Amino acid sequence: MMAQTRGLRILIATVRVPFVDGGAEAHATGLRNALLEAGHRAEIVSVPFKWYPPQCILDQMLACRLLDLRAAGDTPVDCLIGLKFPAYLIPHPNKVVWVLHQHRQAYDLWQQPMGDLHRLPHGAEVRDAIHRADAELLPEARRLFANSRNVAARMQTYCGIQAAPLYHPPPDAPKFHGGAAEEFLYFPSRLNALKRQRLVIDALAHTRAKVRVCFSGPDIDPGYHESCMALARRNKLRSRVEWLGTTSEEAKRDLYARCLGVVFPPLDEDYGYVTLEAMLARKPVVTCEDSGGPLEFIAHRETGLVSEPTPQGLADAMDELWEDRDNARRWGEAGRQRYSDLRIDWGTVLEKLLQ
Amino acid sequence: MKVLILTSGVPFIRGGAEILAESLRDAVCVAGHQAEIVALPFQSCPPSRISEQMLACRLLDVTETCGVRIDRVIGLKFPAYLVPHPHKVIWLLHQHRTAYEFWDHPAAGDLIHYPEGPVVRDAIRQADRALIPEAEAIYTLSANVSARLRRFSGIDAEPLYNPPASAMLFYKDSAKDYFFFPSRINPVKRQWLAVQALALCREPVRVRFAGEADHEAQRAECVRSVRELRLGDRVEWLGMVSEQQKRDEYANSLGVVFPPVDEDYGYVTLEAMLSSKPVITCADSGGPLEFVVDRVTGLVADPTPESLAQAMDTLWADRRSATAMGEAGRARYADLKISWETVVENLLR
Repeated sequence: MMAQTRGLRILIATVRVPFVDGGAEAHATGLRNALLEAGHRAEIVSVPFKWYPPQCILDQMLACRLLDLRAAGDTPVDCLIGLKFPAYLIPHPNKVVWVLHQHRQAYDLWQQPMGDLHRLPHGAEVRDAIHRADAELLPEARRLFANSRNVAARMQTYCGIQAAPLYHPPPDAPKFHGGAAEEFLYFPSRLNALKRQRLVIDALAHTRAKVRVCFSGPDIDPGYHESCMALARRNKLRSRVEWLGTTSEEAKRDLYARCLGVVFPPLDEDYGYVTLEAMLARKPVVTCEDSGGPLEFIAHRETGLVSEPTPQGLADAMDELWEDRDNARRWGEAGRQRYSDLRIDWGTVLEKLLQ
Repeated sequence: MKVLILTSGVPFIRGGAEILAESLRDAVCVAGHQAEIVALPFQSCPPSRISEQMLACRLLDVTETCGVRIDRVIGLKFPAYLVPHPHKVIWLLHQHRTAYEFWDHPAAGDLIHYPEGPVVRDAIRQADRALIPEAEAIYTLSANVSARLRRFSGIDAEPLYNPPASAMLFYKDSAKDYFFFPSRINPVKRQWLAVQALALCREPVRVRFAGEADHEAQRAECVRSVRELRLGDRVEWLGMVSEQQKRDEYANSLGVVFPPVDEDYGYVTLEAMLSSKPVITCADSGGPLEFVVDRVTGLVADPTPESLAQAMDTLWADRRSATAMGEAGRARYADLKISWETVVENLLR
């Protein structure tokens, strides 16, 4: 009913880690722009977030509960769309929550090597408080969506909350284009232990063919890039690995267009723009069985390859793609077709969010 | 340095404070630092929610980001300037005015009308008194804001002036037969006072008003007075104008009328000076009085229709003096050395 109206006043609630841009910022901006284009008034409300020491998470949860977005000045706010923890806890009588992800350290990353909440003082108490807040307060929303099936499944597993998966397009989706395959695989992502660039370097030491991989993305986590480069040196892979650092969006799209395929083996990714961007660029994707989000889009030997998350498993998949260019091209085209079939566009998103 | 600018605002409203925060961010970046704005939503009604939002600000942690220290935060508006940080500087745009000088103002007061108003007012005053001094340094937008801070909260702070946006684009042209009055239309800017004064002018004085009304009723009220006072084409309502048109209106005016109630600072005064135009303001107008020297760079009238009418008549009849005062205003602006470089240098010292 709301979808038919224009001119609604809508706020998007999210959190921001100051000076760090990522997929979440792109998501909020994309949503705001889509709402504006549909004739609504929309703005992003962004609360600064810091997750250590753990007690400060409790303070920030409370801060979000204390903010008031029911009205802006004298005029009511018609709808609040919550995206990230703890900003999605901000109360509103007509709230829709579209969970990008919960606070993963308290859930799937608890007692995992990638998490640290369990190692910090009061970690368990804070985890319990986060669980309680999510379980009690997320259902306040009039409707609940998740960024992907993967995120929805985690909400079901850990909180017993049902949320409908709702896919959205990566930024500038129409600008991606295909192109003739050159002699490299492409891995664009923040350099980070969860994205597992190291696993790819390890795998390169096991490939039969002289597979080359080009990496791009910002280097934010201290020490990770250095450890990857040291590993490449030890395995004598320097000529087969290229680090481009942060690239422009245009350069990134060009690399997608020119690569033979995309390697994207993160650990339990929420959603993953990389998969969608590869599909838009008509390229096959090599991912892993435990990669989460990408598995909702990549079918083994249909739109890419799904390997075991081991150096040998990933090496075999990269070899297969490297040696069978016909299949690589065919799977890339199939990926583009699958993207179209899924109707991933902002029009569909708004229809669902505002229905 | 990594610098965060802390401000509060009402969603969907973009005004002077938002523009100032963005200008400050840009100036900090030009000085070779990294800067970002943290804009927290603020809702002042019902008043009981104000205390909760003050608490929310105290609960936020902006000391670090991803393990990297945030070197400096600059607090601009209530309650965002209450967010704690070991190296905080406050550049106070204004306190929550309806808890202070506007508490019992007939047009601007709001807290006073609620049963919980006095309690909330006291909580705001206590928080300001106790927590503003946490900052390593405290500056304000103007001597007027400093004086209020001293009077109400017992805190000393140095004023730090900033230039209006696109200051270098203002220019002077020959004076035509009108005064210019650019501002949002509301009771505090007192467009109504200028309209009442026009009815008492002996000269055929004309005023062109630019700016949107906060509430349509306020504009309708002004338009009705113009009709009742039979002022006809002596008043023009331009509504929202582009920045270019605004500069043209300044350049071609005889002078600028700007008689607000206790303005914090007032870009209008500075823009008039940049356009070499005299400013007519009132003895209770606040910020403009820091720049307008009576009979030197403009005229300071009493806040009555009679006195304001007399001031407008004076400039209308004596164009030579009007021109001279405009030139003196331009020279005074240059003497004040108002620049973003100076602002940033002080805030990051």
